[in-house]
Amino acid sequence: MGFVRQALSLILVATLATFLAPTQAVAKTGLIFVSNEKSDNILVLDPKTYKVVKEIKTSRRPRDMHFSADRSRLYVACGDADVIDIIDVAKLEVIGRLATGPSPETFAIDDARRRIYVASEESATVSVIDIDRNKIVQAIKTGEEPEGVHLSEDGKTLYVTSEVGNLVHRIDTEAGRAVQDVVVGTRPRRFAATPDRKELWVTAELSGEITIIDRAKFAVSGTIAFLPPGMRKSDVTPVGLTFTRDGKTAFVALGHAAHVAVVDVPSRKVEFYILVGKRSWGVTLARDDRTLFVANGLGDDITVIDVRSRKATVSIPVGRVPWGVVIDD
Amino acid sequence: MISVTVLARIVVASVCAACLAGAADAQEAPAPQSQVTVGYLSIEGDPRHQPIRASERLILRPREHPFVGAQVAIEEAQALSRVLRIDFALERIAVKSADMLASALMQAHETRGIRFFVVDAPAEAFRALAGAVQGRDVLLFNATAPDDWLRRELCVREIVHTLPSLAMTMDGLVQHLVSRKWRDILVLEGPAAADAAMVRAFEGSVKKFGARIVGKREFKPGTDPREREKNNPLLLTALNRDYDVIFVADDAFDFARQVPYRTIRARPVVGAIDLEPVAWHWTWERHGGPQLNSRFQRAAGGRRMESLDWAAWIAVKMVVQAALRTGSADFKAQRAFILGGNGFDGYKGLAVSVRPWDQQLRQAVFLATPNAVVASVPVEGFLHRVSTLDTLGDDEQETPCKLHR
Repeated sequence: MGFVRQALSLILVATLATFLAPTQAVAKTGLIFVSNEKSDNILVLDPKTYKVVKEIKTSRRPRDMHFSADRSRLYVACGDADVIDIIDVAKLEVIGRLATGPSPETFAIDDARRRIYVASEESATVSVIDIDRNKIVQAIKTGEEPEGVHLSEDGKTLYVTSEVGNLVHRIDTEAGRAVQDVVVGTRPRRFAATPDRKELWVTAELSGEITIIDRAKFAVSGTIAFLPPGMRKSDVTPVGLTFTRDGKTAFVALGHAAHVAVVDVPSRKVEFYILVGKRSWGVTLARDDRTLFVANGLGDDITVIDVRSRKATVSIPVGRVPWGVVIDD
Repeated sequence: MISVTVLARIVVASVCAACLAGAADAQEAPAPQSQVTVGYLSIEGDPRHQPIRASERLILRPREHPFVGAQVAIEEAQALSRVLRIDFALERIAVKSADMLASALMQAHETRGIRFFVVDAPAEAFRALAGAVQGRDVLLFNATAPDDWLRRELCVREIVHTLPSLAMTMDGLVQHLVSRKWRDILVLEGPAAADAAMVRAFEGSVKKFGARIVGKREFKPGTDPREREKNNPLLLTALNRDYDVIFVADDAFDFARQVPYRTIRARPVVGAIDLEPVAWHWTWERHGGPQLNSRFQRAAGGRRMESLDWAAWIAVKMVVQAALRTGSADFKAQRAFILGGNGFDGYKGLAVSVRPWDQQLRQAVFLATPNAVVASVPVEGFLHRVSTLDTLGDDEQETPCKLHR
């Protein structure tokens, strides 16, 4: 009898396991994904121990990463391979590739229309990719070195920075062309939209500031300058930025200055600077807004920051030239 | 009659209308476009741009005119043409000899209203140019002559130097040697005037940063056994005392390329070969370097971007940025912006800007081997009260040139 019971429970466990497997990806694993530009891999870290759970080999030079809406897929732009790798989040392996224009860096997904908009740094275009047909359906001309892309919530407007042009283009996605430009700071890199959807913040790497764009007017409504104590203006090269979910606080990685700035959004005042690693670019908040992850491109590590105490708690060694972090939470 | 050949005229507006087609119809009736033209002035058959050959078919260094650098910057301005309502154009003006430069420039200025010029000419040519443009509303960019006397003695308000001076490149090299504690240096000097100028600048840097020249020898390329003391690297490098590094000044390059590994001691060679201070390098991987290099290589038919190309590129880029940031096609506003200490994106990390005293563009210098940038200088730790970039070359109090006073 004992034997039968044991066998039964084994079957039960097995059935449960197969049942749970597909839902587990949807139920969010909490896993942390770090893309490493020069190791050609993504390291998957355990959210509690920060130990490497798995190394996913990708195409050459993985950079920006985004989840599909249902979190079953992770898309990774691979700059030197001219593809976006598709990773199965449950299996943690690459299951397919989408061809892009030359040197893809950042991108945005429109899940409803099954499209990806990806900036092709070397061809001065944004490629529009049909996900299901794995085909570039359009190349929208931009200024030289497009980098940051941001898609409006309704999918109708795409904002793109041109690093060389010092411009942000407003692209009508239906018409497939730039309809308006606004001049921003020098070498504009990336975007973040305020959660109230009213403003778009753009980091300007070389002028060391953030340009704030009023989305309704598509005009510059302000700038925020940074200067951590003991630093010179020229050291400050902001790139990555993110907002807390309540829209009250922004975190801006200052690149060469090796600090993350904490900005009070309503007053647009810099409240604090947190010391991080070398050439910090990518910043990602955990969903609960309690932990901030900062990718230090020239330190080959990730700085973990406790948001409440504003202190760096640990640095995690990762691959070579970490680009960014996403969390399945 | 001046013999002037207008070789190429690239007008961006027409290209851009096609590339960003349909943009205008979304906006109101367009205001008329203004025009900003940059002249590119060069000398046909300029010996500085003859390839260096080992033999007829073996080209060691192509040394082409850096015109493509200027072209790339004009193409980058495409996207701005629509926002600024300014068309940017580049006009190539090639003269038969150096003494025709000044009249060709003045003709382009007076008849075609060109006010910005990238000058691709040797240092000596700048004397006549300086006389011709004195007090005029024109701005010249020296993109190819590194000579220190242009910045110190000639010292002209109408000229901006975008190529790093010899003093800057040598300071950068010596900073690196000193930071490695390779302080004792053997100098090998070639017969050309450019070699003497390079050694003079190097000696200045050695003094400035506390290195030591423990021996200095003049070489004479050749195989004559009676002159072996001067043409044999083994004998040239045999010294009664040790040294850390061998510095070679050889503008002709053919001797320098035969020095590494032919020395009596196992010591690295720097200067004209192996570790060269440059304004730009094809392997620079940071600050957008790969994108610029790839744009350049596409435009130049595969040729790699070099220092002079960078200097021509940044010159045109400064004009375009001045138009963008002043929002105008007005020359005086643009000149004031360029000379006003504002930063420009030179793809070398710290923003580049014009020094008010001698109008040299302050910038980082790369120390490069054929396949890698070993260091970007200033070396961390070499400090300055205003900008660490001013640890390279002539600081305000070190030069007789005081254009800002």
